[in-house]
Amino acid sequence: MEGEYPQSQEPQNVKCCDSRLDCSHIRTDNLIQDVPECTVQDLWLSKRDDLSTSATNGPSSGQEQDPPEMGKGPEQELSDTGSGVLPEGESIVCVAPVGDPEEAFKSKGADDEDQAENASDSASTDNTLEDSSEFMVTVLGRGKLEDEAPEAGPGSPMLAPSSSHRDEDITGESWRLHRKHVFVLSEAGKPIYSRYGNEEALSSTMGVMMALVSFVQSGNNTIRSIYSDEHTVVFMQQGPLVLVSVSSSRQSEQQLRGELLYVYYQIISMLTKASIARIFERKKNYDLRRLLAGSEKILDGLLNLVDSDPSFLLSAVHCLPLASSLRDSISQILQKAITPNLVFSILIAKNQLLTIVQEKTVIEDARLEPADLHLLLNLIGASSAFQAGEIWTPICLPLFNPDCYFYAYISYLDPPECTVCLLLLSTDKEAFYAVAECKRKIDEGMRAQNALRSIARTQSYSASQVGVSDLRHFMYKPFDVPDNHRQLTQFTSPEMEAPYSSEEERMRLLDLYRYMHSRIHSSSRPLKLIYHVAERETLLAWVTSKFELYTCFSPLVTKASAINAITKLLRWIKKEEERLFIRTPPKYSTTPNPSKSSRASKSGPDRQDNTDNGFLSLL
Amino acid sequence: MKVKYTIDRATSSPVRLKRRRSRSTMPDYAKMKKPDVKLVILGDMNVGKTSLLHRYMERKFKDTISTVGGAFFLKQWGRYNISIWDTAGREQFHGLGSMYCRGASAILLTYDVTSWQSLAELEDRFLSLTDTASDDCIFAVVGNKADLTDAMAVEQEGEQEESCPASVCPTPPASPSAHKQVHREDAMALYRRILRYKMLDERTSLPAESMCFETSAKTGYNVDQLFETLFDLVLPSIMKKRDDEKISTVDLEQSADVAKAKSHCCS
Repeated sequence: MEGEYPQSQEPQNVKCCDSRLDCSHIRTDNLIQDVPECTVQDLWLSKRDDLSTSATNGPSSGQEQDPPEMGKGPEQELSDTGSGVLPEGESIVCVAPVGDPEEAFKSKGADDEDQAENASDSASTDNTLEDSSEFMVTVLGRGKLEDEAPEAGPGSPMLAPSSSHRDEDITGESWRLHRKHVFVLSEAGKPIYSRYGNEEALSSTMGVMMALVSFVQSGNNTIRSIYSDEHTVVFMQQGPLVLVSVSSSRQSEQQLRGELLYVYYQIISMLTKASIARIFERKKNYDLRRLLAGSEKILDGLLNLVDSDPSFLLSAVHCLPLASSLRDSISQILQKAITPNLVFSILIAKNQLLTIVQEKTVIEDARLEPADLHLLLNLIGASSAFQAGEIWTPICLPLFNPDCYFYAYISYLDPPECTVCLLLLSTDKEAFYAVAECKRKIDEGMRAQNALRSIARTQSYSASQVGVSDLRHFMYKPFDVPDNHRQLTQFTSPEMEAPYSSEEERMRLLDLYRYMHSRIHSSSRPLKLIYHVAERETLLAWVTSKFELYTCFSPLVTKASAINAITKLLRWIKKEEERLFIRTPPKYSTTPNPSKSSRASKSGPDRQDNTDNGFLSLL
Repeated sequence: MKVKYTIDRATSSPVRLKRRRSRSTMPDYAKMKKPDVKLVILGDMNVGKTSLLHRYMERKFKDTISTVGGAFFLKQWGRYNISIWDTAGREQFHGLGSMYCRGASAILLTYDVTSWQSLAELEDRFLSLTDTASDDCIFAVVGNKADLTDAMAVEQEGEQEESCPASVCPTPPASPSAHKQVHREDAMALYRRILRYKMLDERTSLPAESMCFETSAKTGYNVDQLFETLFDLVLPSIMKKRDDEKISTVDLEQSADVAKAKSHCCS
């Protein structure tokens, strides 16, 4: 095992993991050592004045601040068997191919392959462009360079939420202190979206981002990230869109990249990849905000969800725990209410998946990815303003087919409480009335069985039900669900209870989980098991070929008892499996001639067209 | 391969309705939900379409999120069920517009009185969507956000809770807190252009004076009048439709309903 980690150092190198924060550097795709730095200087020359002021006041001169807990406590990693203690050593100077970020969504198992690659890659070095990274920090730290006068050192007001982020003053201190900024711009440098502040006001900042991207591009290279003391800047280009995340959340680059990908997918889900490509082909400097106007809140909502909901981190769907008999009978109701061209019937309760029924031919050829379902859930959250009505809207599922629209019917079954939401996806734009008719049938079926009351009675479970005294919380994502490769990846997790009942504490636990996740999935040095003693809790994460597990214990637990507890937990999950997960998703057939349809789909993706309901040709 | 599935008013025949009824465990429920007539709200984004409908249906004003696609509502009006489509004003969803409008009996073209652009958009972007509407479709031009420009609209708030369809209020004198960019005359001119676009005779159509409204979803000013005037105006089209159906299919139960309905619907 040690052979894989040629750079291993001594066990007390915990600080090493923080060392990344000291060195500012840029990661790019290809390592071109001899990027002429003078050119870089030239590029920034005009901004010299600001640069020098930033050297005294800017964040780059800021003192190192450790994250609240991460890496502070004694931390040990265990090998797969749990016997040997692996010394940890991490040099961040390595540039590891993070891999196609889309892979992260498709299979975490692919990390095993990375492992081998990483061993050799970790020896390589990167090209450090100190000036430029410092400059970038300046830009991001100061918002608008031009009208910023040197001011006193940054204070420490924490996240100051303003009533409307759109109107926020981007020159203000509070704007700079946001934990995570996300920007979307077009290749021409036109602003498309900013999480905080008005895009228009940020156009010069975005211009600089684009300049960075283009500059590195001109050297036949791709900029991936910039690290500074306090921020990680991650760049991602997807077609004609450039997405940038500026984060002080200490998340790994890989995680931030995954989040950017979600933002990109959300945009795709509203416009389709094909139409975005078409638009920018015709007019390079098109202002995409024209088409996205009104969708900012959907993107805002997505980013808030990404920060607060671990299902995005795990790329898995959270199922509502429910007696399997009840789940089955509800599925049967959905199964019976069908109409031609209906492809997915999804029932969501309390923001968790209750059941999903799929069209037979669809599930044979493709499956609904967790990411697509997350986007749907976010859409539901964002469109709930007027909950008595029935919504009919085109939506593209980017992982299913990025170029075509589905038509989503969204309606609540229990107004005015609005906790049980029915989502029916059809491929036919005109099918609203037929699909609405399905809803009536489902409604009747649910009433007849009094299912709504049963659903209302179900509760998420508490970690104490497991019967392990020190266990506070966990997240368990199995890989061994039967027929898994065809099925939605799911995870289960108890309610976050005391001491994680406040918003801050919950966020803190999620941050710890994110940290564990980043260590487990580190591209340079993936781990199978990690035992982490934090300040106020002890965490243990374990990934095997069958599952991925994150657990949180009270701080005084010993390593042996934690491992013991995990054994008990796994036994409990096994026992409760039927209730916690959707084991075999039911199917129905709504295409008039399924055999013919599935053949058509095999004739390849080039047969799809981009018209609104062209998806049908895929079937 | 594509199975065209269109249910228009014409194709949703009573036979189908009857079959469902006989199967349904709750016949009244199923019967209640059968829409008789379609009303569509169109207009640029942020003019307040969802707010207008929300004010009318739920009697309150709240911040809404930009609508995605379209939202479908059923409103019981006397014995009739009126389906209302609240559409998204965003250009992104433009493609769906003609689908929402298919077979519509009434279309509300909504603009924002403080934005000339929003009125212009009605003609540029939304008028063509109405091509799929029913032949006898009636049009209303609605200027929302009147509370921003007119004092009267602001004062309406308290007394608006009970509907008073009789008092169709005259345009109140302006005491603008925001600059009024679109005046009622402009809206009436647009209405006349719509009639011309539809190749309808101005003399035989409903007059512009009664089909141009200025409303405030925020205060409730003129909102009930708007919807209720329209509902009353589309009733003849319901009657006509039912008559048509009676001719094409014989349905004893249904025709009995209509006869009963006719006798006291306009009260």
